[in-house]
Amino acid sequence: MSDFAGMEDLLQDFLVEAGDLLSGVDNKLVDLERAPDDRSLLNEIFRGFHTIKGGAGFLNATELVTLCHLTENLFDKLRNGELGLTAETMDVIMAATAAVRDMFSFLEHGSQPPAADPGLIEHLRQAIAGETPASGFASAGQAPCNERLVAPTGPLAGEPDWPGLMGALTGTAPALSSAPESLDVAPPPAMQPAEQIIKAALGRRTGDKANIGAGGRREGEKARDNTIRVDTARLDQVLNLSGEIGLTKNRLNALRSEILNGSSDTDTLQALDSAVSQLDLLVSDLQNAVMKTRMQPVGRLFQKYPRIARDLARNLGKDVELVLVGEETEIDKTMIEDLSDPIIHLIRNAVDHGVEDPADRAAHGKPTKSVVQLEARQEGDHIVILVADDGRGMNAEKLRAKALEKGLISEEEANTLDERQSFGLIFLPGFSTAGQISDVSGRGVGMDVVRTNIRKLNGSIDIRSELGKGTTFVIRLPLTLAILPVLLVRLGDQPFAVPLAMVREILPIEPSHVQEVGGRATMVVRGEVLPVLPLVGLLGWDQENPPEYGVLMQTAELSFILAIDSFAGREDAVIKSLDDFRPKGVAGVTTLSNGQIVLILDIKELLGDSGDHRGVSKAILLGPLAMAA
Amino acid sequence: MSDPKMKFLVVDDFSTMRRIVRNLLKELGFTNVEEAEDGMVALQKLNSAAFDFVVTDWNMPNMDGLTLLQTIRKTPSLKSLPVLMITAEAKKENIIAAAQAGASGYIVKPFTAGTLSEKLEKIFEKMGKKAA
Repeated sequence: MSDFAGMEDLLQDFLVEAGDLLSGVDNKLVDLERAPDDRSLLNEIFRGFHTIKGGAGFLNATELVTLCHLTENLFDKLRNGELGLTAETMDVIMAATAAVRDMFSFLEHGSQPPAADPGLIEHLRQAIAGETPASGFASAGQAPCNERLVAPTGPLAGEPDWPGLMGALTGTAPALSSAPESLDVAPPPAMQPAEQIIKAALGRRTGDKANIGAGGRREGEKARDNTIRVDTARLDQVLNLSGEIGLTKNRLNALRSEILNGSSDTDTLQALDSAVSQLDLLVSDLQNAVMKTRMQPVGRLFQKYPRIARDLARNLGKDVELVLVGEETEIDKTMIEDLSDPIIHLIRNAVDHGVEDPADRAAHGKPTKSVVQLEARQEGDHIVILVADDGRGMNAEKLRAKALEKGLISEEEANTLDERQSFGLIFLPGFSTAGQISDVSGRGVGMDVVRTNIRKLNGSIDIRSELGKGTTFVIRLPLTLAILPVLLVRLGDQPFAVPLAMVREILPIEPSHVQEVGGRATMVVRGEVLPVLPLVGLLGWDQENPPEYGVLMQTAELSFILAIDSFAGREDAVIKSLDDFRPKGVAGVTTLSNGQIVLILDIKELLGDSGDHRGVSKAILLGPLAMAA
Repeated sequence: MSDPKMKFLVVDDFSTMRRIVRNLLKELGFTNVEEAEDGMVALQKLNSAAFDFVVTDWNMPNMDGLTLLQTIRKTPSLKSLPVLMITAEAKKENIIAAAQAGASGYIVKPFTAGTLSEKLEKIFEKMGKKAA
C-alpha cells in the first residue's frame, strides 16, 4: 500500500509543481555561481525551498520538510547578507538540491523518503552556523517537527509587546494562556491526525480510496506521468469548438428532417453543403485545439540540463556554459518525456567529448570557457532540436579508422563513406570515440540508443561538424504523434497508409523504364538512380500483378521508389497504437472515412537494418509475364 | 455569523497549496472561493470585485503577502477586509511583522481544517464585535 493513500491527487500536483520549482532552483544555482551576490536570485531560491517545504508539510514528508527547512535557513542568511557564499557552501547546497530530488523520486513511487544523509544535514547545519552559532538548531535533530517552534534567541533586540500583539492577532486571550511559551499561533499538528486531515481535505472517502488502490494505481508506479497542465485559454477553445460542433449538429439534424420530408430544393442542398463544410472546418479546428492541449513548452524539459552540464563540467575540470534557446517552443507532452534521456546523453557527450579542456582551448586560441547550446525551434510541421558545442569537432578519418578497427564496417565500406556518413558511424552499436571509457559517457551504448529513441518518435538525428570549430547534433521531430498525414496506397484491394512526410512524389512504373543495376531493379528519376522496392516484397507477400505506380520515398539515409498497385489519396490519420500486438513494420492503425481499418506502415522498420536495402531483380519486380512482354 | 456565501480569495504562488486551502474551506462549507497566484493578481481581483475574506501566503514572487496585506490596509475600500496569513514561517519576527501590518490571523503550515475553522471563528467573532 502506498504511504499516500487518498492523497494521490495532491501528491501528483505537488510532484509536478515542486519538480518544476526544483528545476528552476537548479538553474538559478548555476546562475548563482556566476553572480554569488545577486539578491533577487538568492531570494528566488529561498522561496523555492520554502514553497516546497510548505507543500511537503501537508504530505507529511517530514524528512523533506527538514531538509528544505535547513536549506531555506541557509538561504535566508545568504540573502540577508549574514553569510557569504563560499565554494564549500555552494557544494553543500548542490548536494542538498540533489537530495531533495532524490526524495521526490521516493514520493513518485508512493513512499515516504528516508532521512537525508546525516553528513549532509550536518554540513548544512555547519554552513548555517558558520557565522551565527547562536541560532536555535540544537534540538532540531531529535525533533525536526518542532524545530520551527524554537524561537531564535538572538536577533530580537528591543522586544515588542509580544503577548499584546499575539492577543491582537488571535483575538482572544485564552488561546494565549494555553501555550504562552511557544509561538502557538497555529502549530503544525502531530503526524497521525495530519494524515487524516489531508484525506479529508481532499474530499475523498475511504471506500473510494480502497477501490483506487486496488484497481487503478499499482504500488511503485510512477505517480507523475499521467497528468498534464493545460492553459485554461486552450481548454476554453476546446469547449467553444465542441459547442459550435453541437450547433452544427443541430443544423444537420434539422436539414435531415427536411430532406426526409421530401424537400430537395437547391436551398436545402446548399444549406446541407455549407453545414457539412462548416462541420469539416470545426472538426479540424477541434483536432488542432485538442492537440494543442498536449503541447508543452520545451523549457520544462530544458530546465534541468544546465545543472547536469555544470556538474559534469566540474567533474571533468572544464568550464562549460549551457545556453538555452527557444525554451518557449512547444512539443507534444509524450515526446518531451521521451526526449529527456537522448538530450541528456547528447549534452553529456558534448561536455565530455565535444569540448576541450581549458588548456587545450587556450593552446588553439579559443576562449577557455566553452559554450554548449541547446536550441529548440519549430520549422514548418517539424520541431528541430540542436545540441551544438564549440569544441574540437569530429574527425571523419578517425571515425572511419575506429569503426574499421572495431570491425563495425569493412575496409571497402569505409572507403565509400563520405564525411556525413562517417559522422553517422557513431550511432552504430558498440562504437565509442573516447580512447578510454569515462564514467559519464562513452560506454558506446549511448549514441546508438539515442538514435533508436529519436526514431521511435518518428524523428531523425543528423550530425554537422567542423574540425576545430565544433559539432552540432540536429534532431528533427514531427509536431505531434497523435495526428499523422498519410498517403493511402493499395496492393490489390488492400489499402495501407505510409507517412506523407516521407513521400516526395508519385510516378507511374513503366516496365521499359526499369533498369537492372547490380541485379537490382532501379529507375532513373531526374538523373538519380533509385532502387525500386516492391511493397509486397517488404511485407513478405507474393507478387501477383506487376506494380503500376511508384512512390518516391525519402528518409534521412535513403531514397527509394516504393512499388505499389495504386493509390487512394491522402488523409489525416489519427493513430491508434496496437498496444500488445505489434507486427514488424506496422506503426499503428487508423480508420478511413468509409469505416475501413488501415494499417499504418513504419517504413524504416520495414526496410530493416540499413545496408540490406532489399533490392529485387527486375524479374521479381515485374513478374515473368511482364518481362516476356 | 459565518455566512457560507462568503467570498474568499486564496492567494498563493503554489497551486497545490491553493488547492489544499480551497479544499479545507470547502470542508468548512465555504464554496465561494477564488484564487490568485501572487499579491499583484490578488490586488487586481480585489479591486475589480467584492471579496469578504482574504487568505494569503507570505512568500510569493512579484508581491509578497505582507506587502499585499499592507496595501490592503492602506486602501480605503479594502482596509477592513479580514486577511488571514498562511505561511510555513513560524519565526517570532514574522508573526510580529504580520500583526503590525494588521493581519487578522496567522496560521503555520501544515494545518488542519479544525485549525482553520478555529481561526476563522475567532476572526468572525472579532468582526462581529466591531460591527456591534
